[in-house]
Amino acid sequence: MPLLDLGAAFAIGLSYFTIISLTGLGGLFSERSGIVNIGLEGMLIVGTVMGAWGALEWGPIPGLFIGMLAGALFSIVHALATVTFRVDHIVSGVVINIVAFGLARFLSQIFFGSTQSDRVPDLDKLDVPLLSSLPLGLGRAFQRMSWITIVAILITIGALFVLNRTRFGLRLRSAGENPAATLTLGVRVAPLRYAGVAISGALAGFAGAFLAIEVNQLFQEGQTQGLGFIALAALILGNWQPLRLMAGALVFGFAQAIPLRLDDAPVISLLPEQFIRMIPYVVTIIAIAGFVGRVTPPAAAGKAYEGGGRI
Amino acid sequence: MGDPATAAGATGRPAWVDTFRIQLLALAGALLFAAVVGGIIIASFGENPLTVYRVLWTFSTSRLSDFGKVLEIATPLIYSALAVAVAFKAGMFNIGVEGQYFVAMVTASAVALALEVPAVIHLPLVVLAAVIGGVVWAAIPAILKVKTGAHEVVTTIMMNGIAVSLVAWALLHPLRTGRGGLVDLRSDQFPDTALVPSLGSTFGLEEQLPGSVHLTWLFPLALVAALLVWFLLYRTRLGFETRAVGSAPGAAEAGGVSIGATQIKVFVLSGALAGFVGLNHLLGDAGFLGANYETQLGFTGIAVAFLGRNSPFGIVVAAIALGLLNRGEDGLALVTDLPREIVIILEGLLILSVVIAYEITRRIVLRRRQREVRSEEGAIGGASGAPA
Amino acid sequence: MAGESDGEGRVGAPLVVMERITKRFPGVVANDAVDLTIRSGEIHGLIGENGAGKSTLMRVLYGLYPPDEGRILVRGKEVKIGSPRAAIALGIGMVHQHFVLVDRFTVTENIVLGAEGGPILDLDAAATRVGDLAESYGFAVDTHTIVEDLSVGQEQRVEILKALYRGAEILILDEPTAVLTPSETKELFQNLRRLRDDGKTVVFISHKLDEVLAIADRVTVLRRGRVVGETVPAETSKDALAEMMVGRPVLFRLEKPTVELGPPVLRVEGLVVGGKVRGIDLEVRAGEIVGVAGVEGNGQRELAEALVGLRRPDAGRVSIADTDVGGRSIAEVRELGVGYIPEDRRERGLVLEMTLWENTILGRQRRRGIVGRLGVLLIDRIKQLAAQLIAAFDVRARSIGVEAATLSGGNQQKLILARELGEQPKLLIAHQPIRGLDVGATEFVWTKILQQKAAGTGVLLISAELEEIYALSDRIVTLFEGRITGEYPPDVPPEELGIGMTGGVRAEAS
Repeated sequence: MPLLDLGAAFAIGLSYFTIISLTGLGGLFSERSGIVNIGLEGMLIVGTVMGAWGALEWGPIPGLFIGMLAGALFSIVHALATVTFRVDHIVSGVVINIVAFGLARFLSQIFFGSTQSDRVPDLDKLDVPLLSSLPLGLGRAFQRMSWITIVAILITIGALFVLNRTRFGLRLRSAGENPAATLTLGVRVAPLRYAGVAISGALAGFAGAFLAIEVNQLFQEGQTQGLGFIALAALILGNWQPLRLMAGALVFGFAQAIPLRLDDAPVISLLPEQFIRMIPYVVTIIAIAGFVGRVTPPAAAGKAYEGGGRI
Repeated sequence: MGDPATAAGATGRPAWVDTFRIQLLALAGALLFAAVVGGIIIASFGENPLTVYRVLWTFSTSRLSDFGKVLEIATPLIYSALAVAVAFKAGMFNIGVEGQYFVAMVTASAVALALEVPAVIHLPLVVLAAVIGGVVWAAIPAILKVKTGAHEVVTTIMMNGIAVSLVAWALLHPLRTGRGGLVDLRSDQFPDTALVPSLGSTFGLEEQLPGSVHLTWLFPLALVAALLVWFLLYRTRLGFETRAVGSAPGAAEAGGVSIGATQIKVFVLSGALAGFVGLNHLLGDAGFLGANYETQLGFTGIAVAFLGRNSPFGIVVAAIALGLLNRGEDGLALVTDLPREIVIILEGLLILSVVIAYEITRRIVLRRRQREVRSEEGAIGGASGAPA
Repeated sequence: MAGESDGEGRVGAPLVVMERITKRFPGVVANDAVDLTIRSGEIHGLIGENGAGKSTLMRVLYGLYPPDEGRILVRGKEVKIGSPRAAIALGIGMVHQHFVLVDRFTVTENIVLGAEGGPILDLDAAATRVGDLAESYGFAVDTHTIVEDLSVGQEQRVEILKALYRGAEILILDEPTAVLTPSETKELFQNLRRLRDDGKTVVFISHKLDEVLAIADRVTVLRRGRVVGETVPAETSKDALAEMMVGRPVLFRLEKPTVELGPPVLRVEGLVVGGKVRGIDLEVRAGEIVGVAGVEGNGQRELAEALVGLRRPDAGRVSIADTDVGGRSIAEVRELGVGYIPEDRRERGLVLEMTLWENTILGRQRRRGIVGRLGVLLIDRIKQLAAQLIAAFDVRARSIGVEAATLSGGNQQKLILARELGEQPKLLIAHQPIRGLDVGATEFVWTKILQQKAAGTGVLLISAELEEIYALSDRIVTLFEGRITGEYPPDVPPEELGIGMTGGVRAEAS
């Protein structure tokens, strides 16, 4: 049993975990404010191209911030359509994904002159003390780790605090559960939902920039490979709760990494790589069908709110 | 109370004429908005927007072969949008057209490669295999929805993810070509008996519609499909029940309609239509299943369905409109310095502004009708509670 | 300025003055130059029929609707109330007819929402404050309970606490008794009097005259968007108020035709439906109207839906016209000659996005004559039938091709009647058939139901409105917590019915 590879698989899994948990957390803010967001993939894509460009121009940290900002700005389109114009959330999300795909291709032509960028500078990597010297090759999981992985965990903890312990979090959740209650207590619903969507765009854009800068060290068309949808899966599996989402992201992250590093390990080698890639999707279908526990989305998610009308 | 002067119906025009006018106006407004914003983007690249739009138009329409190319692009979009629209009429969102046509391409390819029979048998069997592939992939989320309440938006998104890996696996293992190195990840070439003939070759129009234009019999078939979907929705019992389930499930149920059974039927039909999406590429163009098969058609279909207001005829028009833009893209590359991807941005702008315009007009129309009807009620009988 | 200081202090001084308030919606003038004065320290009853504009007026006061014309003075000063936030700042609180609570939040979270006191929550301190507040008014609520676990009466108390927590001096309650049992209503009235004695001002919106006469110090009557009178309970009577509300003497004594009763058309034995209906026996004979009286939520919906085949009973037998309907679908039950007027016409009765003619075949879409071979609808024939039905039931619309959504509530209900009664059913299940209708439409519906009876239809009338029960029934049964608690002749005194509606003897003990 090649434990060295197991360590390497863990290392890759941690990268995927970072992307999935950040993007999923973005989806969490949007959906708990009442706006269904299947445009996460698109926001992730925008983050990759803008992040890579920013990193090429000014270095990795500005790149990450530019990815985040671009994601947030882009997501405002979704907020505008769903909150202000009350377009169906799914329709808007689909359009967001289509537009993002085109936008990335367009920007990539302008920035890099092709569908791929040059090598992008990344951050110095971190050898986690103690853990990185674990024996039997397991230490490799914690060698050359990106700082952003730690940032992602901190952000999740911060999100937990914001949602449950702050005024903003309480109001945001109320907008996603019963916006009429929010409004009749004198709190406007639309700004909360704009904020929820913008946070989702920022986090997904940040995750996209991380993917381009820290994981692949380049922008390449199609590099997100549906990770935005996997993040959506983790969000649902996590029942719209930050910690459970993080656990789901961990599992799905490793599921993504297994075929890359462990394809000659026993058992796994018998299973084609493609079937392992299906795991997150299959698990989510099983979960949403109620075969393992129950997941309950925010009560008002997906519903346009008319404001003062019927209460 | 009712003031007869406010009754807009006094002209005697049927209500739908007014509605239609408002909608056309909104559509024109949305197009104009998209054109102006697009124009600003184009101008920021130092090009003249009007020139660009003219190039887009002439490049798509000047010759029959150009327009053939437009219709070629429109063909899969019509099937895809019809698949989305029928499901939508039953109150469901089929985000899974993408995955359904991926799977259909695999099943169609398997049958295309496995059989050696005459075309009259082979081609129908290949199409049937595609339909079955699409149906199976659609039936799973439909049954899960009805039996367990799992929302179809989530399950179909997940089914899409599974389908991507399934195609990859099929290309790597059962369908992979045995010949010629390992450079290309693709299947063997299908026998001619499995291919759809192009309209150009059928009618001896090779000159006007050369081999590079893959306008096949699948296009007229798409028009027939649109007609059939319309007839089904508005002239048959199943369509009546479908629309009832879609807009008022409680009332449909009270009217003796089985919601679950209707939804499964409609979703299966949607999957069958999705089965056709990849066929023009597979059987009319490439003739084999390759790793660089066309993607995104399922998602674009959602946009087309909404551009066409989920009406079969609207869908045909919207699909052709997108075909015009896509075809014009090649012209841009030739004539201007703009990156051709500007067209995707224009499409996105167009879709977003049209969808928003529809949403706004829906509200205006509803308000108007309420006003008219209420004032009419007042005008006819005095209000019903008036002193006797 | 004197306005500020003499506010709540002087009992009886005008606290809120609404002057010539006009509010229009598409096609309707909901409030037409309404003048209303609410005095400090009173319980002010605001009465009117459904659609008279009571709720609209109060939503204007609460900042939910901007008025088109008119002005509002609070404590003598003119104010612009552009949002609920502004209303709250002026000491106005509102308890909506349909509660607006976040089901998954705790009581405390629901109450502090919007008045958290700082960017970081301190829910423990808030819970203490909420608990103290509740105690000071004698409201028993556990501040840590999740709202979805509360009873309706408790939810209402949380709604009132929401307003009080924000320091409301003026409390608006929109139809607060609609969802309460008689004993909960009694408790609410005690609480409201205590609030008044504490110096608060209460606006009590209702269409139930007895309640308003019992609780209000002063009453304003609205009719079709206008104020038609203001009075005090001591100087008026129920009949006089009713006449003001409706605009003419109300003769709710429709002539009940005498009909020779035929054989039973509905027989129910030991019916049990999902914990809500817990063993019901019933019989309705041809030409008979049986009224099922009871407070909403005691199993009415489940009973009606089980009878028509929308819900599967867990136990018991239902037979319609001598046919056992066990295991039959609603489509099959309807084919036995059952008409059904559901309580929620917009959700269950009509497909609002469909045309009138399409709505007239809903439920018959599988019948030969409606649908031909290969499942193709016979459109011309359907339209012809629809036009006849719509004329016969006086549905007012420009054509049969307009969407049902565009009709008023009364006309929508007529459309349902046209469909359900047009074919002379053997049995009619009518569940709250006049909900939300004005007097004219109510009379139309009642007349049609009585005509059915005269023609030999057996009718099961399920209603929470005693007036309706009395107007139509030949026999009355009371429903409480899923059981029939009594059977009465049509002239039973309301007090006696009330006992049955609260579970019989048990209610007297409390």
